[in-house]
Amino acid sequence: MSTLPAGFEALTPFVEIWAVDGTADRAALRGSSTADQRQAFYDAMAPLLEKALDHLDATPLGEHDAAQQRLMNLTLSFAHVALAIEVQGPDEAKHTPNRDAMVMTRAPADNN
Amino acid sequence: MNAPEKTFIPVPQEDVAWLGTGPVPAKPYYDPDFWELEREAVFMRNWIVAGHVCELPENGSFIRREFEFANASILFVRAKDGVVRGFHNVCTHRGTQLVDEAQGKSSTFSCRYHMWTFGGDGALLSAPDFDSFDLSKKDCALKQVSVDVCAGLIFVNFAKDPEPLREWLNGLDEKLESMPVAKAVTFSEYTYEIDANWKLTYDNFQENYHLRFIHTRSGEAAFAPENPFGYPSAYGFHGVHRTQTIWSNPQAKPKPTQAVAYGKAAVGAMADDILTSPTGREYLALFPSFFILGSPLQNFSHVVYPISATKSRGVIRLYWVSEDRNASERFAREHITQVAREVHSEDRAVISAGQKGLNSGALEVIHFQTQEALCRHLFNGVRDAVDAYQREKSA
Repeated sequence: MSTLPAGFEALTPFVEIWAVDGTADRAALRGSSTADQRQAFYDAMAPLLEKALDHLDATPLGEHDAAQQRLMNLTLSFAHVALAIEVQGPDEAKHTPNRDAMVMTRAPADNN
Repeated sequence: MNAPEKTFIPVPQEDVAWLGTGPVPAKPYYDPDFWELEREAVFMRNWIVAGHVCELPENGSFIRREFEFANASILFVRAKDGVVRGFHNVCTHRGTQLVDEAQGKSSTFSCRYHMWTFGGDGALLSAPDFDSFDLSKKDCALKQVSVDVCAGLIFVNFAKDPEPLREWLNGLDEKLESMPVAKAVTFSEYTYEIDANWKLTYDNFQENYHLRFIHTRSGEAAFAPENPFGYPSAYGFHGVHRTQTIWSNPQAKPKPTQAVAYGKAAVGAMADDILTSPTGREYLALFPSFFILGSPLQNFSHVVYPISATKSRGVIRLYWVSEDRNASERFAREHITQVAREVHSEDRAVISAGQKGLNSGALEVIHFQTQEALCRHLFNGVRDAVDAYQREKSA
């Protein structure tokens, strides 16, 4: 399933790759994705980020339905990908192995 | 038009000259014999951060932590009386390790070998066929280590009769207590292993001289024409501990997503009443190898645990004073954690390159400039502890 809440249909093509549970897995995904995949996701998500957070904030975290959880995970993957685009740019590939050595072991987002 | 007011004045050499200005011997940064001395003189005699009380939320909660420098596995337990204690994870019968789990909740600990069972206060409660031993149960309690808590941080000390934690903190306990960590209920964490001496590793995080070269992109906000290296605005020395005050760059322009994340995080920090803090730009360094930044939105700690002369392990945590209250807060914390990890990632490779160079023995000395004064202060503290230890041994 790749349904998202109404108004976020533009992000549907990105659900399969980017709506991922778990901070460690999202961190790994930033490194294992291609530059084109990251750029396409960034371009689609950036203009909808604040709208998505406003939508999700209206429902308590524990009560998100499956579509909202997908949207939440998209924003959380964006939290990683944005650094690749906005900070590392052409240095992203060089940065990835260094980042992989910093192993994510815990994050509040892991307690769904 | 008036010129913008200069907000940065570097700490002058004369202020830190008392630490010395000459070269420092290179050997302590790779020599196994020196490591053995500092292991005994420094790590076995100082308070080491082991965790946080939010990991022991209930009576009966426990965590197991490994300390390679002490060759020890320690159980930190909140017993029925609510007190946090530390015990060697070692059955007093014949030494078997009691607990394999990294954390959990249990009112008793039973040894799988012969079913000796201990309480959360370490007392031996029962042992099968105990009458066949010529022993009293009260002499069989788990071996305790000294544990104390400040600002929610659990400290352990392997010395027999250590200086009380608050005295050892030498005035920094109040600063610690004013930081978000003191109220934390959860945290984010990442860890790393590194082929490098603990001091070489730690020193990287207490000098900004390297920032513009190693963190050219991720550290951009720290540089400005008036402070091209992003040096701190002040250093403080408190016995063996030290502090720096991070310079606030008035020209820093956050990246678009960072601006969103920090804005969202600030809403939560305001609700928690931690947004304005006198220690918000203070970076505390507790001897031998603990850091914490007081930042209300990025309250991170970093511990470097030595494994050998040339191998270490780092644990970085970002402490949060509430559970995620909504999607915006969850997003902000996910991003802010990655912002910290982004920068720390860039250090590891260059530190181990430094270790390779030192291991060759090509250098007899290394050099610290004025703005590496905190590295020099750490070296002096280690050197003095090792000298005192050697005098004590030979007396």
